[in-house]
Amino acid sequence: MNRREFLECAAVLISGTAISRFASALSEEQRVYLASAPDYTSQKADFFSPEQRKVVAAIAQTIIPRTDTPGAIDAGVPHFIELMVAQWFNEEERDIFQEGLKDMGTRIPREYGQPFDQLSGEQQLSILEAMEEAASDSPWYAQGNIRRAWVSDAPFICQIKELTVWGFFTSEVGATQVLQYNVMPMRFDGHAPRTPGETSWAPFNFYH
Amino acid sequence: MIKATTYDFDAIVIGSGITGGWAAKELCEKGLKVLVLERGRDMPAGTGYLGEHAPSWKLPFNGKPERKLWEQDYPVQSKLYAFSSQNIQFWNNDRENPYAVDEGTPFEWYRGNVVGGRSLMWGRQTYRWSDEDFKANAKDGHGIPWPVSYEDIAPWYSYVEKFIGVNGKKEGLPQLPDGEFQKPMPWFAIEETIKARLDKNAPDITLTNARTAILTEDLPGRSACHYCGPCENGCSSGSYFSSQSSTLPAATATGNMTLRSNAVVERLEYDKETGKISKVHVIDAKTKQRVTYSARVFFLNASTVGSTQLLLNSACEEFPNGLANHSGTLGHYLMDHFLGIGVAGMYSENQDSYYFGNRPTGLYIPRFRNVQKQDEDTNFIRGYGFQTMISSGNWMGQLNTRGFGAGLKDTLSKIPPTWTFYMGGFGECLPQERNRVFLSKTKKDRFGIPQVAFDFAWSDNEKAMAKDVKSQGERIQKAAGAAYSMAFGDTENLSAPGAGIHEMGTARMGDDPAQSVLNKHNQAHDIPNLFVTDGSFMASSSCVNPSLTYMAFTARACDYAVTQLKAGAI
Repeated sequence: MNRREFLECAAVLISGTAISRFASALSEEQRVYLASAPDYTSQKADFFSPEQRKVVAAIAQTIIPRTDTPGAIDAGVPHFIELMVAQWFNEEERDIFQEGLKDMGTRIPREYGQPFDQLSGEQQLSILEAMEEAASDSPWYAQGNIRRAWVSDAPFICQIKELTVWGFFTSEVGATQVLQYNVMPMRFDGHAPRTPGETSWAPFNFYH
Repeated sequence: MIKATTYDFDAIVIGSGITGGWAAKELCEKGLKVLVLERGRDMPAGTGYLGEHAPSWKLPFNGKPERKLWEQDYPVQSKLYAFSSQNIQFWNNDRENPYAVDEGTPFEWYRGNVVGGRSLMWGRQTYRWSDEDFKANAKDGHGIPWPVSYEDIAPWYSYVEKFIGVNGKKEGLPQLPDGEFQKPMPWFAIEETIKARLDKNAPDITLTNARTAILTEDLPGRSACHYCGPCENGCSSGSYFSSQSSTLPAATATGNMTLRSNAVVERLEYDKETGKISKVHVIDAKTKQRVTYSARVFFLNASTVGSTQLLLNSACEEFPNGLANHSGTLGHYLMDHFLGIGVAGMYSENQDSYYFGNRPTGLYIPRFRNVQKQDEDTNFIRGYGFQTMISSGNWMGQLNTRGFGAGLKDTLSKIPPTWTFYMGGFGECLPQERNRVFLSKTKKDRFGIPQVAFDFAWSDNEKAMAKDVKSQGERIQKAAGAAYSMAFGDTENLSAPGAGIHEMGTARMGDDPAQSVLNKHNQAHDIPNLFVTDGSFMASSSCVNPSLTYMAFTARACDYAVTQLKAGAI
C-alpha cells in the first residue's frame, strides 16, 4: 500500500459515511471516530463573565504571545481554559481558580487603576512574574513533576499557565503552525538534518 | 448398538487474543469446525479503531485524562501508559468486570475486553527463549524442569515469526537466538553514537534492534508500518501483529470458524464416564442468557489469569480443587517480570540531526549477566535485559518551566538540546509456590462467577537483580558517554506485581503429573481433550517478553491435538 492508497483508505474509515455504514457493527458502548469528531473547543462555554474573559485572554497571551508565529489567542486558548475550568476541574481546583481570577479582578484595578487586560505588556508581565515568584514553593514547579495529570492544589498562576501551555500546543494552530505535525509520515529517518531553531514534533500521546 | 456422539463443533477455543487467534487459525486450517468464544465485545478490524490517527485537538480535554470516567470505570486499566481516550474501547471496564482487589495482595491486572484482547494493545516485543532459558529450572532447582527444549520449539518459533512478521537484526547470541526477521527499522544517529562507544568501552554489551512484530515489508493483506507512532490505538493497515490483522482473517478464510463475542464462559463440564470435557457453559454478556456448546477438544486461551479462573471455577466431584488439578499446583507459581528500574542518560551529541516519522519501538540490550555460567560478581541467579528508548523531548516535559512570553514560547517550541537514552530493565522472576491466583470466597461478578484475587511477593532474587540493573545501567551509560545519568526505580519496592503485563504460570507444564497441570503438549495430564496454551502453561519466566513463546507453543499444541484427534486418541 502506498501513501495515497493508505490515505484514501484512512479517509473512508474516518468519514461520516463510514460511521453510518458501519454503525451496526459497533456497539452502543463504542464511541465516534475521534479523528472526525468536532474539536474539543468547538463546544460553547458559559462560565466566565465578559470581564473575566478579557483578563484570562490577556494572561494567556502574556504567557504565549503572538510572535512571528501565532499565539495563545490565535489558537483559541482562552476558550479552552474556560471549558477546562468548567468541565475538567474538580470543585477544589475550580475554587482555587475562581478565587485567583476574582483577586485579579479586584486587586489589579485597585493597585494599577485599570483592569489587567488594559495594562501595558510590561505591567502584565511583571504582575505574572510576581505571582510566579510568590508561588515558587508549589510542588508544581518541582523538576520531576511532569509525568502526572495535575497537581490538585496548585495555585492559580500554575493552573492558568498549565492550561495555557497545554491548550496552545495541543490546538490545531499550535501543533501544526508552531510545532511540526505529520500523522502519516510513511517512513522513519533517524538522521533527518536539523535546521537552526527548528521546532519539535507535536507529541501523539499524553502523560496521565 | 452404541450411538455415535454428535458434537456442536470439533473444537472450542476460549479467548480470541494473541493465543486464541493462533489456536483458531491453526485448528481451522487443519480442517476442524471451530467455535471461538470471546467474553468481550466485537471489535471489527479497522472500523473499530475509533481513536486511530486522531489529532490532539479532537480528543476529550485535548488529551488530558477523562478523570471522572477513568476513576469510576477504569481505576486499574488507566494506570497503564498505553491506556488513553484513543483506545478506551479496547479495555476492560473495571467497574463492570472487577476482580477482588482488596483480598490477598495488590496486583495490577490489565485486561482487554474485546475480540482480539490484548493483541490490540500489546508492546509487540518479540523474542525467542534460549536453550539456557529452557534448562534453567533443571539447572538451579527453582521450579520444575521444562519438558520441552529449545530444539523442540525452534521450528515453531520460525513458523510463527514468518506469519506474524518480525523486524529485527541477527546477532548470533546464544542467550537470544536469532529468528526469521524482516529488515530492521532504522536507528537514530545518537543510537549509532552510543553503539559505537559501547562496542569499544563495554564489549560485553550488545545493543540491537528491539525485535518487534511490526512489518517493515508488506505481507499479504498487511502493509509495512507507516510510522504514525501509537500502535496501541489500533492499526487499520494491519502493520503490527494482532488477532485482527493476522490470525482471525486467516481463520475466517477457511470458512471453518464461528466467532461469538459477548460470550462469557462460566465453566467447563467434565464427563466422568469418558474422562473428558463434554461442553462449555456460556453466558451472553448482554442478555445473560445461558447456552452450552459441545466439542471434541477444548483450547483455553483466556489469558493466564482468565484460564486459571475458569479451571478453578469448573471444580466438580472428580476435581474438587479445580479442573485438571490432581497435582494441586493450579493457580500457583504465578510470575511477572519486574520493570520500572533503570537508568536514563543525557547526551549532547548529534545535535545536527533530528528525526522524521515515529519509530514505534526502541533498541534492546540482551541479557549479559550469568550467561552460560554464574558470574562471580552477582548475588542472584538468572538475568535481565534492557529495553531502551530515545527521546529528544518536547514542551510536555518542560511544561512547568518558569517565565513568560516569547522566551518561554521559544523554549517550549524548539527541539530541546539533549537526547535522553532510557534503559529499563526487565528481570526474570522465579516461580514460587506462594505466588498465586485464587477465587474469592465472597465476591462474585455480575454473572455470578467468583472473582479472582492475587497473592504475590517478589523474591530476594528479584530484588538483588534489580540493584544490579541500576549499577550495570550506570556502567553502560558511562561507557556510552552520557553527560549525565540518573537511575530510577525503587529496588526495595519493585514494580507492582502485574504491572509488567507478563503474568504467567498458574497451570504449569511438566513431565510429572504430580507436580504440573499440563504435559509437554500443553494437554492437561488429567483430561486428554483439554489444552491450555496461553501464558498459564509457563514453568519459568525467562527475562524476555513472552508472547512469541505463547504463540509457538499454541501452534505446536494445535498440531499435536489434531494428530491425536485423527488417531482417535482424544
